[in-house]
Amino acid sequence: MKALFSPRFNQLALPGALLALIVLTVLAAPLLPLADPVKQMVNQRLAAPSPGHLLGQDEYGRDVLSRIIWGGRVSLTVSFLAAFCAGVIGTLLGLVGGYFRGIVELMSVRLAEVILCFPPMLLALLVVTLLGPGAVTLVLVLTILFTPAYARVAYAETLSARTLDYVTAQTALGATSSRVLFRTVLPNIAPPLLVQFSLTVAAAMMLESGLSFLGLGVVPPSPSWGLMIRAARSVMEQAPLLLLWPCLALAGTVLLLNVFCDRLRDVLDPRGAAVGVIPAFLRKSRAAALPQATTEPAPGLVRIDNLTLSLKTPAGPIKVVRNVSFGIAPGETVALVGESGSGKTLTALAVMGLLPPVITPVDGSIRFTRRDGTVSDLLQLPEADMRRLRGNDLSIVFQDPSSSLNPVHRCGKQVAEAILAHGGGSARKARDRVVELFRRVGLPDPARRANAFPHELSGGQKQRVMIAAAVANTPRLLIADEPTTALDVTVQAQILDLLAELKSGAETSGMGLLFVTHNLAVVRQIADRVVVMYAGEIVEEGPVGEVFAHPRHPYTAALLASAPESEAEELAAIPGTVPSPAALPPGCHFAPRCALSTQACATAHPDAVEVGPGRTARCIRPMEVA
Amino acid sequence: MLAFTLRRTAIALVLVWLVATLVFMVIHLIPGDPAELLLSQGGVAPDPAAVAELRERLGLDLPLYTQYLNYWAGLFRGDFGVSLQDEHPVASEIALRLPRTLELIGAAAVIALSVGLPFGTMAALKPGGRLDRIASLIAGISLSVPVFVVGTLAILVFAQKLGWVSAGGYVALAQDPVRHFILLLMPASTIAVGLGAVVFRVTRSAVLEVLGRDHVRAAQARGVRPRLIILRHVLRNALSPVLTVVALHLGSLLGGTVLVEYVFNWPGLSGYLVRSVEARDYPEVLGIVLSISVLFVFLNLLVDLAYAALDPRVRHA
Ligand code: SF4
Repeated sequence: MKALFSPRFNQLALPGALLALIVLTVLAAPLLPLADPVKQMVNQRLAAPSPGHLLGQDEYGRDVLSRIIWGGRVSLTVSFLAAFCAGVIGTLLGLVGGYFRGIVELMSVRLAEVILCFPPMLLALLVVTLLGPGAVTLVLVLTILFTPAYARVAYAETLSARTLDYVTAQTALGATSSRVLFRTVLPNIAPPLLVQFSLTVAAAMMLESGLSFLGLGVVPPSPSWGLMIRAARSVMEQAPLLLLWPCLALAGTVLLLNVFCDRLRDVLDPRGAAVGVIPAFLRKSRAAALPQATTEPAPGLVRIDNLTLSLKTPAGPIKVVRNVSFGIAPGETVALVGESGSGKTLTALAVMGLLPPVITPVDGSIRFTRRDGTVSDLLQLPEADMRRLRGNDLSIVFQDPSSSLNPVHRCGKQVAEAILAHGGGSARKARDRVVELFRRVGLPDPARRANAFPHELSGGQKQRVMIAAAVANTPRLLIADEPTTALDVTVQAQILDLLAELKSGAETSGMGLLFVTHNLAVVRQIADRVVVMYAGEIVEEGPVGEVFAHPRHPYTAALLASAPESEAEELAAIPGTVPSPAALPPGCHFAPRCALSTQACATAHPDAVEVGPGRTARCIRPMEVA
Repeated sequence: MLAFTLRRTAIALVLVWLVATLVFMVIHLIPGDPAELLLSQGGVAPDPAAVAELRERLGLDLPLYTQYLNYWAGLFRGDFGVSLQDEHPVASEIALRLPRTLELIGAAAVIALSVGLPFGTMAALKPGGRLDRIASLIAGISLSVPVFVVGTLAILVFAQKLGWVSAGGYVALAQDPVRHFILLLMPASTIAVGLGAVVFRVTRSAVLEVLGRDHVRAAQARGVRPRLIILRHVLRNALSPVLTVVALHLGSLLGGTVLVEYVFNWPGLSGYLVRSVEARDYPEVLGIVLSISVLFVFLNLLVDLAYAALDPRVRHA
């Protein structure tokens, strides 16, 4: 309920005020100076608006304005009453059904749902046949029709509320069921029921007016909007306005109710209002204005210089990756290591041009040498050119193979896409190539696997499919973003072996591998060089053997100390947490967690210094690291 | 797929039995004597002789189980009883009118999908853009205007003021195909207004949701062309939720035909129903409610099967 006082509440103000105005007007109908809504003046039939009759008179000479207000009174009373009765009954059924489950659920919620087997209008007409038309029948019919919807909402909410800690605690303390239900569960599930109530009022008005329009709802001479539209139909040639007024009143009220309901839902449940993510391929321009890239040839395969990535937040941009520079030579395997939040995955995605839309490169360059020897800055490349590189010269294997494969397409078809997207010839040739690739990545019975849907494969097999797609066009650079994290331990080793084997294979010789991971054991096994990231920057870089033997940054040392050498060893976590990129410590970002930290560390941000051939560390006391 | 189809069909048949039994029970569930109830008008007690006669005509004087057996025997013979008003067999009237209602629903669904799907997709590809804002506004309004108001206003504008089409009516396809479709257009479009808005909304939110999924990013990483990503990896996956929601609206769609057939004088099943309810012609009402409910069950079965065709995971579940 606290949400009602948030700024979002303002959105409710306008539709809420207009609705209140309508409700007050119809409630005050007997007090207003209105003409008698049923008094006929046949000599003034279809009279134009006059001072005494602001909206004119209908086919019996009755005052239209008065009939609209009195008609609204009938429609709103019937709808509110029905929504309320259905709400009470449905909520009760849902509460007991969701709370007691079992047979009670069957007798309450499931029984109510039988009603949903019938189209609502039909059920309404069936009841009208038996009971005859009239306002009482209407309330009864609408109550029956809308009870299951409440029961469903209350049932679902009760099921989830039931597992909340304080609800279980109360039950354990011996509170009676009715007390728990009405004092604890009901207030918890009130917001969705409130939304359901306003939805139901709108739906009930639609149905009520529909039945009245057919002449099977409100009985004349009582005015009702549905009846007025019905009557105006016969004279619409002479008096089209007569049709328009009740239509406007009805549609306007329902529209207001619907808008109110939408806003209410947003206020009570802000999660639902979230907007989706627009992927890169839909964006025209890729990067903000970046400094012109240097034209000098890139040493090696790819050279990242000064890469800085900025995250858009409501409080302003935050640089989540700062001044990252490193390179990968042909045939080299570089491991990019860090805890989650270090910026390692973002760096990898920046190379692929697949950054989420809220993150943009604001500085730096990523120079990449293509297969034909030309060098281009990937940050400056237009999206169309970038697409031609992806899955071709540049490939990536993601962390979770299960969500990376589209569940509705066969595995082989998805791999074939990578081949066909880069001019791989006919579909038949692509199919043969897929089977060959599947054999290469060690999938048993490759022809059958190519025809399988993703859910028919195991996690490890799915990751092999993803790797097959990534190497389909013999990439120059393969990025593996935590490719084994989502897999079983035994499968992890197999996938690592596969990657190592692919690298040494003749077909993909010279392929660079950027391996993103938080697992140091894996790094030792697979990488030539290691780049350690912390809080958005590189803190240490160097050949794997040397870095592991003599770390020159306290963070690397701490990571090494915490990494289990074998299964038996204890994991000694590094004390403290990674600082939020919005609130970085002013000096060395690692200072609060560093055992070697001194006064100087807290004031000046250290530069990366050379600590050996091909080695750098971002620490002012690199040689003291044990 | 075959096992799935068989299982679903079996469930549908059970539902048909349930619905038919329920329809049979309705008359006995209401407190008081049904014959008396049907004949009473405005609180005036009916003539006892007339009540006795109606009881006999409806077979209400027989024991309940005999009535139930007779009811099923009738259903199997395609005998839904005769009208209380003119002794006309209910089944033959239903057989004549049901196809017309189905045609109306089919045409409305085609129109709604061909408008809602593309616009929903375009709106989702540029959320917050001009097209999105305008289309969302129109959809919001469309959902708030009752279907009979849309129909009546359409007649006022297109038939009365502009004179483009006649206000309603029906011509058999065999008699004059062109006129048949012209007359079909207005009622079908009227139903499609609300349905199209629903399709638009679900498509928009489903596409937005799918766009953020990992497999779309993975397709991008393979270098798949944008148009193919949208078709194969976004729209294809968004179809399942669209289908689910359209199925949820089948009920109100069928209900909508009652009003639309009335407004446009379309001689379908639903218009027949209104007339029967007005006359409180019990056998007619029961027959129509039964056939529409059974139709409802089978449409839901079709949706289930289409759902399985769209998503391989459902097939194997
Ligand atoms: S600069 Fe100081 S605080 Fe930072 S890592 Fe080095 S010793 Fe620790």
